[in-house]
Amino acid sequence: MMILAFRICFRAFDVCVPDDVLVEEEQSNSLPSLMTPSITSGMSSSMDMPRKRKGSTDNQLFNNPECAAFQRSVTYLFKCLCREPHSQIEKRRRDKMNNLIDKLSAMIPTCNPMSRKLDKLTVLRMAVQHLKSLKGSASSFSEASSKPSFLPEEELKHLVLKAADGFLFVVGCDRGKIVFVSESVTKILNYSRAELIGQSLFDYIHPKDMGKVKEQLSASELHPRERLIDAKTGLQVQADLPIGASRLCSGARRSFFCRMKYNKIPVKIEEKETQANTSKKKESQKYCTVHCTGYMRSWPTSQMGAEGEGEGDKQDSSYFSCLVAVGRVHSHSAPQVNGEVRVKPTEFVTRYAMDGKFTFVDQRATTILGYLPQELLGTSCYEYFHQDDLLHLADRHRKVLRSREKIETNCYKFKTKYGSFVTLQSQWFSFVNPWNKEVEYIVSTNTVISYDNSRTARSGHKSEQSGNSKASEDCKKSLPVIPGISSTSGTMIYAGSIGTQIANELLDFNKLNSSPSSGNVSPFSLTQEKSPQTLNQITNSVPNGETSDMEIPGKSSSDGEPQGASFPGGDSLMGENSQLDLDSVVGPSLNSFSTDEAAMAVIMSLLETDTNLGEAVDFEEMHWSL
Amino acid sequence: MQEERGDTHWSQAISSVLQGNLCWHHRHAASRGTPQDAMTADKEKRRAISREAARRRRRVESDVFGDLSRLLPLQPSVRAHLDKPSVIRLTLSYIRLQTLLKETAGSHEELGHGARYRHGGEAQDGCLFELGKETEGLDPLDENSMYLKILEGFLMVLSTLGDMIFLSDNVSKYMGLSQTELMGHNIFEYTHPCDHEEIRHNLRLTAELGCSQKRDFVVRIKSALTHRGRVGNLKSTTWKVLHCQGRVKLCAASSSVSCVLLTCRPLPLSHTLLSTHTFTSQHSMDMRFTYCDQRVTSLLGYRPEELLGRSIYDLCHTLDTSCLNKNHLNLCLKSQSVSGRYRMLVRSGGYVWVESHSAVIPGVQPSRSRPRPNPSQPLCILCVTYILSGVEEPSLQLSLDQTFQRYLR
Repeated sequence: MMILAFRICFRAFDVCVPDDVLVEEEQSNSLPSLMTPSITSGMSSSMDMPRKRKGSTDNQLFNNPECAAFQRSVTYLFKCLCREPHSQIEKRRRDKMNNLIDKLSAMIPTCNPMSRKLDKLTVLRMAVQHLKSLKGSASSFSEASSKPSFLPEEELKHLVLKAADGFLFVVGCDRGKIVFVSESVTKILNYSRAELIGQSLFDYIHPKDMGKVKEQLSASELHPRERLIDAKTGLQVQADLPIGASRLCSGARRSFFCRMKYNKIPVKIEEKETQANTSKKKESQKYCTVHCTGYMRSWPTSQMGAEGEGEGDKQDSSYFSCLVAVGRVHSHSAPQVNGEVRVKPTEFVTRYAMDGKFTFVDQRATTILGYLPQELLGTSCYEYFHQDDLLHLADRHRKVLRSREKIETNCYKFKTKYGSFVTLQSQWFSFVNPWNKEVEYIVSTNTVISYDNSRTARSGHKSEQSGNSKASEDCKKSLPVIPGISSTSGTMIYAGSIGTQIANELLDFNKLNSSPSSGNVSPFSLTQEKSPQTLNQITNSVPNGETSDMEIPGKSSSDGEPQGASFPGGDSLMGENSQLDLDSVVGPSLNSFSTDEAAMAVIMSLLETDTNLGEAVDFEEMHWSL
Repeated sequence: MQEERGDTHWSQAISSVLQGNLCWHHRHAASRGTPQDAMTADKEKRRAISREAARRRRRVESDVFGDLSRLLPLQPSVRAHLDKPSVIRLTLSYIRLQTLLKETAGSHEELGHGARYRHGGEAQDGCLFELGKETEGLDPLDENSMYLKILEGFLMVLSTLGDMIFLSDNVSKYMGLSQTELMGHNIFEYTHPCDHEEIRHNLRLTAELGCSQKRDFVVRIKSALTHRGRVGNLKSTTWKVLHCQGRVKLCAASSSVSCVLLTCRPLPLSHTLLSTHTFTSQHSMDMRFTYCDQRVTSLLGYRPEELLGRSIYDLCHTLDTSCLNKNHLNLCLKSQSVSGRYRMLVRSGGYVWVESHSAVIPGVQPSRSRPRPNPSQPLCILCVTYILSGVEEPSLQLSLDQTFQRYLR
């Protein structure tokens, strides 16, 4: 209903806006035609306050009173026409300026204690004073350097490293010797600079990443092994193509990931990530993933000084080449921790195909269920459900396939490898491909409620708690849920077929709705196919009360379909509604575009609107507003 | 101060003149007896005076503006072309930046870092000088300029309201607009409207994002650069996709200096050296493989041809679904994306950590011949996937595919 209201508003707005624009255009168009030299002077006088006085004195020069009168009237006319926009512009300018001055006065300490509002000039003067004092304290950086800059280089460096959360390092290409590393490394890897400089980088790299780093260091800029990729076409280009040529000379870019050792014993006050990592005991977790980006650089040895440690490096070649790079700790540096925080030990994650077959099982399932993942994979989850729960779970299964929301199941019993039952509660959601809106699979987060067999007491209580809102509809629906099966519920059927049947129902449902079913169809052509139909809807839903009449039959017809009927109305309606709305937003504009770029834009806008509608949060909000 | 005094002096002068004027007016009225004339003349006089006063006021004001702009670290050529609002805007940025730097030093002090930090800075310079001798190419000045060059992007400091407090001067290389043109403006004026919510979310200080102070997002920003690298005007801007990474700098003392430090850079797709630990793939827009290079076999065990038509979602660890989903949405909306870390299942069992950098491109035949972007071809997604780790838990079979592989072997 909300959407309808919106649409009507939108229409009304559409009608309004052009009128406004038209009026303005008329005004501005009519101006030049009226203009004569004397009038323009009059107009300019009316436009500019200080000059207005001058203009009025000029007017007195006119001896002919008629002429003056004429001019006055014309000026008045112009005032009427022009004053509004011009004064608006002036006002905006003044407001902007006042706003800036206010901000300024808020930033200047000497202005703050004064309770009264200061005038512009005073604020400006104080700003000058403040700047002078800042300059004094900020030393001679900007004065001394030939090129003034807002930030002294030294500070800039710190900010960059802070923002990047990384460290700069320079590594000789031939032996991997660390020639230079910035101070910030101590905060990141817990090694001091002195420890690192002069050492081989390879001592600090994960053994399995050695080859990777060596490769990056050895492939110097003139090597033919260089394989670059052209972002425009996605094709690999040879290094000798002009695109990279200039770049390669100045130093080929490098971007790679490697795992670097860090000191377990924090020397300094360390950060959260490292702390989390240090608590880990596993050997591999002494490493953190570092993203290195930088470029190759070489200096002719002739320029190099005779002294220093570089001697050994430079004797064999006339160039000393090295990698200059920033290493930044990967922003998701401790995902293992994240994963385990998100999933409690009594939880495990599984993934079902649409028909309820296990396609992914988290290894934690083994400790809970006794099955190895490979024992569950490929089998239908219905084979493990207790018979009493089948109807309920089948209902939830159906629901999850048609809804984007997370669906909670009641407590149910799951047969373990040892024949006993574990009481689980699951949260299911169907993962929908963002592009074509097809259900990829169902993700289920399963929580263990209890291991014991006294199910009646426990789960009965629990289901009362969790499902009291849904209880009534569950009861109502438990019978017609599985039409094919309800008749045979007494007899034993192959449980796995329940899932298949539900999946087929959805496919049929989709086919009936002629919604996207094939992933190979380009979404653009898809939307084009749809557009005439949606166009119809639009032309029909011209802005008045009829819109609501138009929409509701559409909904009820989809409701009338057998599968739709088995759902609580709200959910399926929601889906329908957002879909329709989206189409009608994008539909009409499609026809007017022909070029590829335009098509692209439409696809993008389609997606934008679509995802906005599709996101869980929005969805919920809409749900409430409905 | 002097000027202020001058000002009061002036106002006194005005008032005395006005008084004189009044006297004159009285005399005039008495002698001539034509108040009308007197009135107009009087008005004239007043006008002249206030005109003069206004002129004077404006002169004083522009003098102060001149002083202000001279105090800003600007090049003379830039300074000459600044209008008044810009002067204030830049002054604001300058003051904010200085407070920020002071706070930074302060916060280090608080943490017990301060002394060492600053000392470290000095030592670094000294050390660098030595190093400079050592390698000769690394003189300190060079080293400083190196940071931005290595970054291949620019530094941006945002206030919590989205004001761009600072931008490094190489921003012009990426946006086609100069540092002075942009600084002090609001980021929302220069970013794609559809990304505003995300930016706002990232500017929020930690509350919802838990304790994480890190920021990592992709944003579309206005760029006045034309395709040939020339600077066009602001009206004809294109959207440029930038990957913003950084962290929040919180200041407990006052929220006005809390800010977000970000490095913004275009995705490094175009100059990726494809190492043996990287593979490229092309996907249809729904993330099904349409092409994959040979290296995937050595890295993940899959043969390229068996991947064709498969969805990337089948290959990922279920716990990383949301990460990939976000990546996919970014691609659909913004056309480029960085996935962040996620797990890909290895054919024979277990998984590896990977990160993908991807872009939406017009589809081409993945042939070795000349690239021919065909406009009639549907769009596709190009991914460069970096392998970050070795195979973890290689004995585990997590997905159906992996068990199949086991049986088939």
